Amino acid sequence: MKNSSPTLAVTLNTFREAVRDRVLYNLVAFAVILIASAVLFGEISIGIQKTILINLGLSSISVFGLLISIFLGIGLVFKEVDKRSLYALLSKPVRRSQFIIGKFLGLNLTLAVNTALMSAGLWAALYYLARRFEAPDLFIWVAIYFILLQLFLVTAICLFFSCFSTPLLSAIFTFLLYVIGTFSADLRAFGEMTQNASWKALTSFLYYLLPNFSDFSVAAAVSHGKPVAGGLILLNTLYTLCYAAVLLAASVAIFARKDLK
Amino acid sequence: MSRAGAKPIAAVFALVMIAGLAASAGLQTAIDRRMAPYLGTPDELWIPSGKVLKRLSLGNSGLMADIYWTRVVQYYGGQIRDRKTDFSLLGPLLDITVELDPNLLVAYRFGSIFLCEASPRGAGEPMQAVRLIEKGIQANPDEWRLWHDLGFIYYWDLKNYPAAAQAYLDGSKNSHADPWMKVMAAVISQKGGNRETSRFLWTEIYRSAEDTMIRQNAEEHLQSLQAMDDMEELDKRILLFREKTGRPPQALSELVTEGLLKGVPIDPLGFPYRLSPGGKVVLSPKSSIRLEEETPPPQPEKSS
Repeated sequence: MKNSSPTLAVTLNTFREAVRDRVLYNLVAFAVILIASAVLFGEISIGIQKTILINLGLSSISVFGLLISIFLGIGLVFKEVDKRSLYALLSKPVRRSQFIIGKFLGLNLTLAVNTALMSAGLWAALYYLARRFEAPDLFIWVAIYFILLQLFLVTAICLFFSCFSTPLLSAIFTFLLYVIGTFSADLRAFGEMTQNASWKALTSFLYYLLPNFSDFSVAAAVSHGKPVAGGLILLNTLYTLCYAAVLLAASVAIFARKDLK
Repeated sequence: MSRAGAKPIAAVFALVMIAGLAASAGLQTAIDRRMAPYLGTPDELWIPSGKVLKRLSLGNSGLMADIYWTRVVQYYGGQIRDRKTDFSLLGPLLDITVELDPNLLVAYRFGSIFLCEASPRGAGEPMQAVRLIEKGIQANPDEWRLWHDLGFIYYWDLKNYPAAAQAYLDGSKNSHADPWMKVMAAVISQKGGNRETSRFLWTEIYRSAEDTMIRQNAEEHLQSLQAMDDMEELDKRILLFREKTGRPPQALSELVTEGLLKGVPIDPLGFPYRLSPGGKVVLSPKSSIRLEEETPPPQPEKSS
């Protein structure tokens, strides 16, 4: 408990700081408006009112979550160094590793709360549209959970880059890694198409090295009421935990050696 | 500046702003009129590949498919509204939509209707519709209604009764399929095209369609079939009239006088049927019913 309390303090402080950020509220409000607009969007199409609401809602949660995680994540370490508040913090009994872990958990807590708010908006819009919930709608929660896992990974990547780079470069690196991560299956397929053993080995290596964000894309399936297998939920959870732990360990290692003078 | 002097200045500013906004609105209206010739650019698909769009969507392919499906609906509706007969983008747009989301059933089911409808109400491309539905069946093997749609295109648009019967038979093997699918396969296989089968199939489409446009389309076809039945029955009564009086009737009211009809019959839209100068029963010019093309003679299946 003694060891975890500084981490908890950093976590809660990061959360409080993020909640005070006005940009955060704007993004949430915008997402809610977007979800509400899905109801109107359904009017100009045929037969997809509910599908489009679910797809638009989940995409909004994902895109706005991504923006929040990148734009808050890039400043996690840099802001503390820039404002010199880190020196005061580290003069207290807080280890550098606790600071990094606390920052990571704090941003994830913020993202979880934001996702919960946006999800509430989505479910309210869904109820407004259908006037009832059906059993397959429960899988929307799985899609939301997968978005959250995806955001946790993005936060870990962002934090990793922010330990040794400027906020602008961290944002660019994180976004590019996110884009590459959605194409990783294509990367491997490309290697297999070349019929060259070296290329094949390299693309396979990159496939396993880079984060695979396409693992979390179940929104289209759940919008049609299709179930998501329990095994996939478990594996994606373990994958996120494993990959985020690696990135976090790397971040701690880099930050521990960082010259703060 | 004194407070008393500030008030008139504020009022002048407010008046200038209101006048300025009103003037710009008027100018915009004038620009809209002059811009019309420049806005009529041909429809184009900037990214014609569904696969590329799927990758560019960065995991949001479901939403992208919904957007493309809405584009299909808007394109189809826009061409109909503007009385254009070119539906060349319909097929590619539908292909992109189902590539983005292979489970989007509405795109297969309604998209095939848009493709099948003869010009000027659609693309008049039933073979494209067949390919679209076949893609849908491949991606959604549990959806027996896609087999019904395939059978219906073969039956109604292509008049290919053996292929229609086969589609209904294949669809009936699905464990969720309604029992009438098997019956339909047998009926089409034996009798080919006939009005009763057509009525049943359109009724089924009317019953299952959730969208008002599709229901209305089915209703119009059902009204047309009903009118054809009525006119056939009236022709029989005219024949009876001729046998009874030895002359053709001048108006349908004469059949009423002779006791062959209880009153002048009306079509499903409420307009009275009329007699043409040639003595054939026709629809009122006010009626918007479009009579179906008669199906070719039945093609009984050869017994082996």
